Amino acid sequence: MKKNTFYLIFGCIALALLFLFWYSVELHTPLLIEIAFILGIVLVFLAKRKVTDVIDDERDVKITEQATIRTMQVFWVVFCAFSIGAVMQILYVPTFPRQQMGTHPPDLLGPRMIGYIQLGLLCLMVFLYVGFRIYYAKKYGEFETDEE
Amino acid sequence: MRKNMENLRPMKNKIKIFRAMHNLTQEHLAQAIGVNRQTILAIEKEKYIPSLDLAFKISRYFGVNIEEVFIFDEKTPTVMGT
Repeated sequence: MKKNTFYLIFGCIALALLFLFWYSVELHTPLLIEIAFILGIVLVFLAKRKVTDVIDDERDVKITEQATIRTMQVFWVVFCAFSIGAVMQILYVPTFPRQQMGTHPPDLLGPRMIGYIQLGLLCLMVFLYVGFRIYYAKKYGEFETDEE
Repeated sequence: MRKNMENLRPMKNKIKIFRAMHNLTQEHLAQAIGVNRQTILAIEKEKYIPSLDLAFKISRYFGVNIEEVFIFDEKTPTVMGT
């Protein structure tokens, strides 16, 4: 199994865990997420053992480094923009002087849903990372073919 | 500026020629210097510029100076003013 496949599986497991976390909160059954979390760790461990391209040379390190930097750059902008927007919405900021007292704009997202979306963004970061890894791998000749 | 420098690719190399001279495959060379075959291919195709460390390893493996394998093609001003 290639590293990128492993990361995709890891992302899918993380998303599944997030869904199960939401479901167990809705059902008030913490046992569900506890079991799912342990199963998730076992699945990740088993998938990691199947990774074959474990030899890292300097080009692999560079691909990983560039992909990580770009992922963090994009992720923090999106995450911070969403979080700031969400906090502003919860606190009704900005409130303008002309706005009548006692009337608040309708809530688009509740605090709980904001937390879920933040966790979702964290999970989606894995997919963004894989995308950047593929981009930089292509840039540094990963998919080049030769007559040899 | 950084993007321009990456696009120019002033580093050329003769790895393929040296491999042919020594009757070596990419796989053999890669194993000998401890990298992946794809890295040798990427260097040969000038998609990736190796580190100084790796460039020295490759040239020493062929028993030649680094400048015989790697050619820096950019016109750089020198202290002599040429």
